[in-house]
Amino acid sequence: MIFHSLDFVVFFVVVVALYWRLPQRGQNVLLLVASYVFYGYVHPWFLILIASSTVIDYLSARGMERWPDRRGRFMALSVVSNFGMLGFFKYFNFFADNVGAVLAAVGLHVSPPVLRVILPVGISFYTFQAMSYTVDVYRGELRARRSLLDVAVFISFFPHLVAGPIQRASYLLPQVEAKRTFSIPAAASGFYLMVWGFFKKLVIADNVGVLANKVFALSDPSFEILWAGVFAFAIQIYADFSAYTDIARGSSRWLGFELTENFDHPYLARTPADFWRRWNISLSTWFRDYVYIPLGGSRATGAVWARNVMVTFVLSGLWHGASWNYVLWGAYHGVLLLLTRAHRILRPPAPRRGSGASGGLVVVLQTAGMFLLTLVGWLLFRETEFHAIVRDLQLVPWRSAPQDRHIGLYVFLLAFGYSLPLWFQSVWVETHRGEHPLSDQAWRGALVRALACGAAFAAILVLRSRTSLDFIYFQF
Amino acid sequence: MPNALKSLLLSAAGLLLVPLALRGAAALHPIPDLQPSYLPALEGPRERAPFDADRLAQLRRLQPAFVVIGDSMAGSRIDPAVFARVSGQSVAPLLYAGSGPAWWYLVLKNWVIASGVHPKAVFIFFRDTNLTNVLFRIDATWSLDTAALPREDDLNAVVARRRGNLFYRLRSGIDALYAATEARRWIEPLVTQWPAQAMFPYHRPRTAFLQAANDRFGLEHLRPMDAADMQATEDREADFDEFVDKSELPLMLRDAQGAGLRLVFVRVQRRPVGGRPPYQSPALQRYVRRLRAYIETRGGTLIDDTGDPEQTLDLYEDGDHLSREGRRRYSERFAERVRLRFP
Repeated sequence: MIFHSLDFVVFFVVVVALYWRLPQRGQNVLLLVASYVFYGYVHPWFLILIASSTVIDYLSARGMERWPDRRGRFMALSVVSNFGMLGFFKYFNFFADNVGAVLAAVGLHVSPPVLRVILPVGISFYTFQAMSYTVDVYRGELRARRSLLDVAVFISFFPHLVAGPIQRASYLLPQVEAKRTFSIPAAASGFYLMVWGFFKKLVIADNVGVLANKVFALSDPSFEILWAGVFAFAIQIYADFSAYTDIARGSSRWLGFELTENFDHPYLARTPADFWRRWNISLSTWFRDYVYIPLGGSRATGAVWARNVMVTFVLSGLWHGASWNYVLWGAYHGVLLLLTRAHRILRPPAPRRGSGASGGLVVVLQTAGMFLLTLVGWLLFRETEFHAIVRDLQLVPWRSAPQDRHIGLYVFLLAFGYSLPLWFQSVWVETHRGEHPLSDQAWRGALVRALACGAAFAAILVLRSRTSLDFIYFQF
Repeated sequence: MPNALKSLLLSAAGLLLVPLALRGAAALHPIPDLQPSYLPALEGPRERAPFDADRLAQLRRLQPAFVVIGDSMAGSRIDPAVFARVSGQSVAPLLYAGSGPAWWYLVLKNWVIASGVHPKAVFIFFRDTNLTNVLFRIDATWSLDTAALPREDDLNAVVARRRGNLFYRLRSGIDALYAATEARRWIEPLVTQWPAQAMFPYHRPRTAFLQAANDRFGLEHLRPMDAADMQATEDREADFDEFVDKSELPLMLRDAQGAGLRLVFVRVQRRPVGGRPPYQSPALQRYVRRLRAYIETRGGTLIDDTGDPEQTLDLYEDGDHLSREGRRRYSERFAERVRLRFP
C-alpha cells in the first residue's frame, strides 16, 4: 500500500479508530495485522520474506542469550539469512552480470542466469532494522525479547516499513513494549507532519520528478538542460524521501510512537560531513555504528581512516541499488569527506572573524558550494549508465545551442518554483533553531497552521502532478 | 479544552474549509467553451477538441484492405509503406503514440466502422494486459477528443464499472465539492507557465518557445530507456475474468462483429531479457489463454508474438520499441503472414 492513496487514508483511519479501543497487547496484535496488510497489499508473497526474517532474528537473539558461548553462530545465522535474502533478491542479477562481463573479458562467453522476480519493496530497510536487533543483542547492548509479537511489530511497524527511517531496536522496541497513551499534542504535530508530507510528495516531488525524468530521458542533453534536470532531481529526491519520513513520523505519532528524524534540511549543509549529518540520518548512523566504528572509525589515522571512510561510503552506495553508479555515488561522497578532512589538516580554519554581513556571506557561499557538490553526486546517482555519466560530465556551456540555454533556464525555473516552499521552510527552520515561534499556546500560531493546512490541501487538489510517481526509495 | 486540541481542530477545519475558496476562484474564472464530458465517470465538464470527421472521408477514399490501430508498439513495428508493398494491399495506419484501449475502441467505432469501409482485417496492437485495462492511459482524456462523439455511453459505463469502487467515488466527490477540476484548469497554467511568461512576455515568441521546448523532448531526442518504457506487468492486472467486463474488449468485438469486420489483436513481444523472451508469470500465461479463448469465441483472432524465435533482441531499440531496421523486418514478415492469411 502506498501513503499517497485514498486506500491508505481509509486504512489509517480505521486502524487508529480501532487501535485506541484496545489494551496494549491488543494494540500490538492490531499493529502486526495492519502492518502485514499494508505490506502484502499488492504482493502477498512479500510477507513470507518478512515473516521469515522476523522468526530467524527472534530465534537467533533468543539463542544468543540462552547459549552465550554459541552466540557467534547465532549471529552468523542472522547475518547470513538477512544478507542472504537481501543479496539474492537485490544483488543476484548484478553479481551474475558482472561475473559474466569479467568472463567475457577473458574470452569465456557464458549466458549468466537471470533472476526473474521483482525486488520486494523495503527489503533493504527492514533487513537493516532487523539486523540492528540481533547485532545489539550479540554485543550485549540489548536483551533478547521473549515476545515474538513485539519483535514482529518492531520489524514490520507499517508507518516506516517500506522506506524508513530505519529505527534501532534499542529505540523502538521499548516503545512497542510500553503502554501507550493518546497524546493530543503528539497527534496534532503528527497531523501537521502528514499534511506537509503529502504536500511535498504530491505537489513538489511528483511535479519536479516529471521534469527530471524528461531530462534524463534525453539522449543528447545540453549542459544547461542537463544541470537543470539534475537540480530538479535533487529537489525531487529530497521532497520525496523526506515526505515519506514526515508521513511515517506523523502517522506514528497518532499511534503513540515517536520515530527518529531522518532529514535536517540537508541542502543547507556547508560541508560534506555536515551533509551526512542531515541526509538520511537513520541510514548514516546505521553505517556509522555498524560498519564505520567497528572498522576503527575515527580512532584510526591516515590510510586506515581513509579506508574506513571509503568502505563505509561505498557500502552505503551499494545499499541503494545493485548498480555501479550507486557505488560511484558512495565513493564520490567518501572522497569529498576525505578531501575536506585533508583540507582541514593542510589549512586549519582561521579564527572566526566577525559575524555580520561577511560571516553571512561565507555561510551562503559555503552552502551554495556544498549544494553544487551535492548536485554532482545526484548526477552520479540518477544516471545508471557509465557512458552517460562520462558524456554528461564532458558537457560544457559554450557548446550549447541558444535555444537549449532557454530550455535549461525554463526547466530550472519551473523546478525552482515548485521547490520554493522547501527552501522557505529550510531557511526558516535554520534561522529559528531553538525557538518555538508558532507555539500551540498562541492563537496566532494555531491560525497560521490552520491556514497552512488548508492551503496545502488546496494545492494538492489543484496542483498535484498528473503523473503519480512511486516514492523513489521504494526501489531500495 | 486543551490548547493542542483546539489547535488540532482548527487545523482540521482549515484543511477542510480553506480549499472551499477554490469554488469562488473557479466561479471568477469561468471557462467559455466548457462542455460536458463524454466520460462523466472520469471527469467533469471541460474544453474539448472537435471530432475529426476528416478521418472518415480519408478512409472512404482509401478503402483500405488493412487497418492498423495502436500506439507506439504498432508504430515502431508497422511501416505502412512496407506493409502495403509486401502485402500488395492498401493499408490505413491509425496510430497515436501514448494511446490506450479507450482510443483504440473509439477509433474502431467512430472512424473505421462509421466510415463504412470493409477492410479484410483490422489489427489492434497491444501489450500484455492492455486490452482489459480501461484505465491504461485514459487520464489524458483530451487525446481521445478527436475520435469521440458527444456521448460515449458504452465507454463511460465501462469506465464507471472499473472505477466504481468507493475510493474513486470518494475522490471524485472531493474534487466536485471543491470544484478542483475547474480551479485546476486556470491555476495549473499559472504555475507551470510563469517561467515562459517571464522569459518571453509576448505571446508569439512564447508560443514558439514552448513548441520548441516540447520538440526538444520529442521521441527523436530520447535515449534507449529500458526501464522507463518496460512497465512491468503487474500480476494484479492479469486477472482476465475480473477485468474483462470492465474493459472495452467486449465492445470492440461486439461492434466489429456487428459491422462484419474481422478483428485481429496482435500481442507484441516485450523486450527479450538475457537472450530469451520476456518472463511470463503463471498469472500472465493464464490470462493470455483466457484472452485467446474469449476473442476466438467472439469471431476475433489473437496473434501472440511472445516467444517468436525470430523476434530477437537485435530488432529492438529502446524498451519494447523496435529499431528502424527492426520495424522494416517486422513489417515485411508481418505482411507475408497477413498475405497468406487474408489473400
